[in-house]
Amino acid sequence: MEYGPPPLFNQGVSARARLAFFSLVAAVLIVIDAQVNALDAIRNGVEILLYPIQRVLLWPRDVAEDVGGYFATIGGLNDENASLRKVAVEQAQRAQMAAELKLENDQLRKLAGLRERLDPPSQLVTALYESRDPFSRKVVIDRGSNDGIRAGGPVLDEVGVVGQVTRVFPMTAEVTLLTDKEQSLPVQVARNGLRAVAFGGSEAMTLELRYLPTNADVESGDSVVTSGLDGLYPPDLPVATVTRVDRDVKDQFSRVILKPVAGMSKSRLLLVLMVNPPPLAPAAASGRETPAGNLRGDRAAAKAARR
Amino acid sequence: MKQWWRRLVGARLASAAVAEVRPPTIGRGLRPEQVLRPVRPAFIWATLVGAFFLNLLPWGRAIWVPDFFALTLVFWNVHQPRKVGMGIAFVFGLLMDVHNGALFGEHALAYTLLSYGAITLHRRIQWFPLGSQVIYVFGLLLVAQLASAAVRLWVGGASPGWWVGLLSSALGAAIWPLLHSVLLAPQRRPAKRDDTRPL
Repeated sequence: MEYGPPPLFNQGVSARARLAFFSLVAAVLIVIDAQVNALDAIRNGVEILLYPIQRVLLWPRDVAEDVGGYFATIGGLNDENASLRKVAVEQAQRAQMAAELKLENDQLRKLAGLRERLDPPSQLVTALYESRDPFSRKVVIDRGSNDGIRAGGPVLDEVGVVGQVTRVFPMTAEVTLLTDKEQSLPVQVARNGLRAVAFGGSEAMTLELRYLPTNADVESGDSVVTSGLDGLYPPDLPVATVTRVDRDVKDQFSRVILKPVAGMSKSRLLLVLMVNPPPLAPAAASGRETPAGNLRGDRAAAKAARR
Repeated sequence: MKQWWRRLVGARLASAAVAEVRPPTIGRGLRPEQVLRPVRPAFIWATLVGAFFLNLLPWGRAIWVPDFFALTLVFWNVHQPRKVGMGIAFVFGLLMDVHNGALFGEHALAYTLLSYGAITLHRRIQWFPLGSQVIYVFGLLLVAQLASAAVRLWVGGASPGWWVGLLSSALGAAIWPLLHSVLLAPQRRPAKRDDTRPL
């Protein structure tokens, strides 16, 4: 490298200069993308280019699954059928009760002069693939802004909350799972209505409740549901069950580990609720993810409470 | 019972001794080097795009699956550093970022570093036998992965168990000999097209 190459073998810009240039560009892109959403237009363009290829490459997996499903044993199908029948009967009973309760509830609410609770419109989507990113838990779904999906919408499966739409492309959208470390949602313990904020856990496939005092009334086995305080998730959706509560006297807060209820089934059908994100609180407006801004506000409040 | 074994070892030792006394033919390496045919640019592009498509397959949470594109990139950087450079690495890195929903530029940075390492070391790597090349390739892949890990830790928020992904470097390095023979096969063809030519 000490000698300059004769013009015949001129290699153009040196490798080090190229490295410096491309690393600098990459670093600038990373910083911009981490701080503001200015690069979404470029990202959308690239995603539109990639989309047909992605769909074609999903095809071998789908064919393999179809073939596998074709050869499912009759025994397995019988078992599944029996359990589904049982569930259907149970749910029919529950549905009747729910209808009755809803009527009664509506009447009571009218009597009390309260606003009726509206069921947000929803859309059935299919999960295309999980992103192969070891640093985050994301799923890509097959509907995007063309179908009216907006960032911030809660995503459910047949048992509970799966996550939240965090990025929207024209044809697809990215759903960040609850178990992602960056994700948080306001919850309450179903047994006693104790409110808390659930964050992605430090262990794989777990959630944790933070900032609960050591004497908080949480036991393992408690079911945790959304509290609806954020105005984004409807209240009383199942989120997780408590698996472990560590009360260390040295610590100010107890350590509550949850296991999410959703995402256990093999089915890839999901439900996106089309809720309008609530207006941002002024303090949270500087947050990076706008839809989760109110959650960040929650986090800040919790931090303030800690001091 | 042990006799057949001793005989085998004896034979191996004897052949090793014969190899020892044989005068070195080409430098230190003792390996005859084949003169390769020129590579076709279309083949380079086809393999790079094919490896990228392999990465796009729905691997799901199987993060130990090797990064096929990174491996192919290293291969062409080592063997054709003037045809495949950091620009290609950067652009494919951006595509990878969009597919994975990662930070814009994370894979681009990792692939650029990988490409620089491979181009800088390309003469040295080619000098070693395949077995030792694996170690170099493992080192390169690991540096690239650690770079992207550093970015994530810096921006904040690394999922638990991200280090399992480092396993993909080891697996990637393990399939290097296979990749080497496949990607070099078109250049190893004999010049004349006849019945004995395999490709």
